[in-house]
Amino acid sequence: MRVFRLNPAREKEGKFRTYHVEVQEGARVLHVLHAIHAEDPTLSYRYCCGTGQCGSCAVRVDGEPKLACMTEARDGMTVEPLNLPVRKDLVVEMEPALAQIAPLLPKGQAECPAQEQIAAIKPLRDCIECLACVSVCPAMEVAEFTGPTAMRQGMRLALDPRDSGGRIPEAIRAGLFTCTTCQACWKVCPKDIQIPGKAIEKLRALANREGLTLPRHLEIVQLVKETGRTVPRTETSFLEQVDEVIEPAGPVKATVGFFVGCMYNLRLPKTALDAIEVLKRNGVRVIIPHEQVCCGSPLIRTGQLEYLPTLQGKNIECFTSRGIDTVMTMCAGCGSTLKNDYRTPFTVKDVNEILTEIGIEPPARLPLTVTYHDPCHLLRGQGIRDQPRALIRRVADLKEMAVVKCCGAGGGTRSGAPDVSRALALKRDEEIEKTGADCVISSCPFCEFHIGTFSETPVKNVTTLLLEGYRKKDEGKA
Amino acid sequence: MRADVAHEAHVLVIGSGGAGVRAALEAVRYGDVLLVSKSVAGKGGCTPMAEGGYNAALREADSCVGHLEDTLKGGAYLNDLELVQVLVNEAPDRLQDLVRWGAVFDVTETCQVAQRSFGGQRFPRTCYAGDRTGHEMMMTLLEQLRASDVEVLQEVTVTDLLTREGAIVGAAVLDRTGRLEVIRADSTILATGGGSRVYDVSTNSATGTGDGYSLGYGAGAELIDMEMVQFHPTGAVYPYDARGRLVTEAVRGEGGILRNAKGERFMSRYDPERMELSTRDVVARAIAREIQEGRGTPRGGVYLDVTHLPAKQIEERLPVMLEQFLAFGVDIRKEPMEVSPTAHHFMGGLRITPSCQTTVRCLFACGEVAGGVHGANRLGGNSLAETQVFGKRAGEAAGRAPSLGQHPEQRQLDLIERRLEGLLSGMVNPVSVERKVQLAMWKGAGVFRTGPELTQTLTEVEKLGRKKLHAASKLNLAECMTFHHLCTTAMLVLKSALLRPESRGAHVRTDLTQAHDAANSPYGHTYLSQHRSGIEMKGGKP
Repeated sequence: MRVFRLNPAREKEGKFRTYHVEVQEGARVLHVLHAIHAEDPTLSYRYCCGTGQCGSCAVRVDGEPKLACMTEARDGMTVEPLNLPVRKDLVVEMEPALAQIAPLLPKGQAECPAQEQIAAIKPLRDCIECLACVSVCPAMEVAEFTGPTAMRQGMRLALDPRDSGGRIPEAIRAGLFTCTTCQACWKVCPKDIQIPGKAIEKLRALANREGLTLPRHLEIVQLVKETGRTVPRTETSFLEQVDEVIEPAGPVKATVGFFVGCMYNLRLPKTALDAIEVLKRNGVRVIIPHEQVCCGSPLIRTGQLEYLPTLQGKNIECFTSRGIDTVMTMCAGCGSTLKNDYRTPFTVKDVNEILTEIGIEPPARLPLTVTYHDPCHLLRGQGIRDQPRALIRRVADLKEMAVVKCCGAGGGTRSGAPDVSRALALKRDEEIEKTGADCVISSCPFCEFHIGTFSETPVKNVTTLLLEGYRKKDEGKA
Repeated sequence: MRADVAHEAHVLVIGSGGAGVRAALEAVRYGDVLLVSKSVAGKGGCTPMAEGGYNAALREADSCVGHLEDTLKGGAYLNDLELVQVLVNEAPDRLQDLVRWGAVFDVTETCQVAQRSFGGQRFPRTCYAGDRTGHEMMMTLLEQLRASDVEVLQEVTVTDLLTREGAIVGAAVLDRTGRLEVIRADSTILATGGGSRVYDVSTNSATGTGDGYSLGYGAGAELIDMEMVQFHPTGAVYPYDARGRLVTEAVRGEGGILRNAKGERFMSRYDPERMELSTRDVVARAIAREIQEGRGTPRGGVYLDVTHLPAKQIEERLPVMLEQFLAFGVDIRKEPMEVSPTAHHFMGGLRITPSCQTTVRCLFACGEVAGGVHGANRLGGNSLAETQVFGKRAGEAAGRAPSLGQHPEQRQLDLIERRLEGLLSGMVNPVSVERKVQLAMWKGAGVFRTGPELTQTLTEVEKLGRKKLHAASKLNLAECMTFHHLCTTAMLVLKSALLRPESRGAHVRTDLTQAHDAANSPYGHTYLSQHRSGIEMKGGKP
């Protein structure tokens, strides 16, 4: 096992040391650390309960935050501290982050909450304050934000009738609107606490009820009520340029309904048209109901839920009325929303999934080295990580970035917390630059648009890259 | 010459579990409080791990008298009657404190705290929060601690209590860098929890090394019933490195069934009336017997089965168990668990009055480190209640105690410093010695005991305790001190075990026969201090 060693009293930089120890079958990472410590007593690490209940032993195992006592040990693992200030070796400073978790201020009466209130609070109470979430939160790196578990606590308090209250203004002051809803916190939580959906978005919904929604966010709802879209029309939209049914070039391998989303429809219509070309080429018949509207995600992420059912109803109806059983999205945010925030009678699939399933015609290779930025709502929202990479590799050489992180476009931060949004994009650009890639590929209009605003490296969608490969192939034949 | 005091307080609380934090929250109403914790505050000890529940007589159909009688019977009538009266009478009020502070207990449709059945009780009076009641209580208490004026020193290890003229004036602690610091306090409360880590197989967290027993004994305090170690009947067997971890009694409370390797529901032979919900000592001995007599599983356990329960019930009522076993490759909805007895709780400890005063002036104790509440065997659910009832009392008593303004003696500080320096030039790795003590205790002072084995183990443990330990650096001094506390605790268990000429509750001597049962035993507490030791006879002290 490779273990990170650093004694700040003596060294500026840490380094990895490889240890070889023997442990019993079924041993956890913690037991390997114990075995190492028995031979090298200078190794510092935290542990206590050994059963995943106290939150003392969170470390990064092969780059991912995990509880050392619950993670099975395997040969060749790398163990390093959480991405927080290091005190020594695997021990990080916890107190500053723990101090951000607000206490309950009792109103005085010992009134027992009702069953429904208890049921709502209980999942939020599972937190063992291990700080894994804090260590991966992008907004905390660039803003005054108390972070995921502090927000979780804010919601827990807001739900409790015994608390003195005032938690919503407090959460807003603590940075509630700086969160991009990237879900990194949820995915590393050993207790699987759905902080974005159950804390951040719900706190924003409570803020809405108290009249504290940000003015820029209120404008979005105004717009969607008037136009069915959360982005204003500044050029010819995608929907204005396409027919309802687009037949493929050859035999039909699959039929999908296409949910285009506001961003591709109104800001990046050319990209959507590229995708259509690729789908046509590969035997996919695409049905595009023109009465589709915004998926509603901006409303959900900013806590403005009142108009949501109207949007949901319209969107579901436009596909069911046409007997469509598979709806394709190419916007990661729309896809995640349709899969997770809707109850649809049809299946929802991302364009990367569709193309991978049907198997694409091989494109020509391009003389490019590209890098790929994982959209949060594709990687974490839909669990899609490998398909875009495999498609990219058909066309170009792929150089991975060292860090996977939110670009800063989501959660209403572009409009509501533009400094945070910008700072995260610049950080992402740093990682892009480090790869030396000619081009950065992504699969989400927010990421593409946002990174494109702040990076000098050209940004392209996966399907655009594939189309370029097809064009080169066709040129070669001509 | 005056010692260099780094911290001063009216009340010093040692320990940040349920009892320690509750004591600090009470004491801070009267003056400055300093709480020191070996772990990150609130993460150590058994409170955050406790799964079962909190016993309190709340319902019309229940009564404090019923709770009292159940506790006395479960304790084999070795309990301190006055302490039990305090426990059962005040458990409901302390529960209300927690509710007022925002504890998220499960509730009934009529907004009352929900209660379930637990071992050895005639009425379902165990309040719970899923299967993580201890976690719930600890988070509630931590919230209040953060809102309070209590000063908290995290990740420090107490090496000694400091005395002057027979009274406690504070403590010496090793901080994170291995530096020795002196704390002066008018009163000191020990809330350090138990010592089950003296055994090879134990449910306890890393802090369960009996520090408080060792510190109190070293300061001249008297301990009672240290031989009374509760072996929880169901500890996990696999994997080896996570052996002994708690499989909560709540599993049996929800309807879990015990079977041996032959598939027999063997509790019918040991307690046909109460079966799996008999008291812990009875179930632990039953399981140990089954394994000893060759009816155990290949891994050395028996089966605990909930596969007959609806999956939804398991998911809602036993999520921690489900998650833990899944992490280790077992889906308890579909397969049985393998379990065997595991060292869990010390019923004995520092002798206290109902105000938590120990036999040494200015020293108080509450929670598992104190003795007398549970007698010879503890009922599940009484320990979490104990932390709150006696935590509050200790905080109140210490808070109200006078400010004597006494300072530590330089002589004692010099001795402590010299001892620490000696560790830096010692020879033996503490990790290997600790292992040997744990294995010896498991073999010689486990569920079934004999006089010769206890004596032999005592000799072995005392020998191991005299080894010249080596601290690789100042950062390792705390480990060595912790081993010292662990070893002292083991010695206290063994010596006390040899003082009791009978089997009683959790303490079983297979080499003794007796005509009396628990209710008619002529024996009272064993007692042990630096000045005297013995066993009380019923009707008063010898």
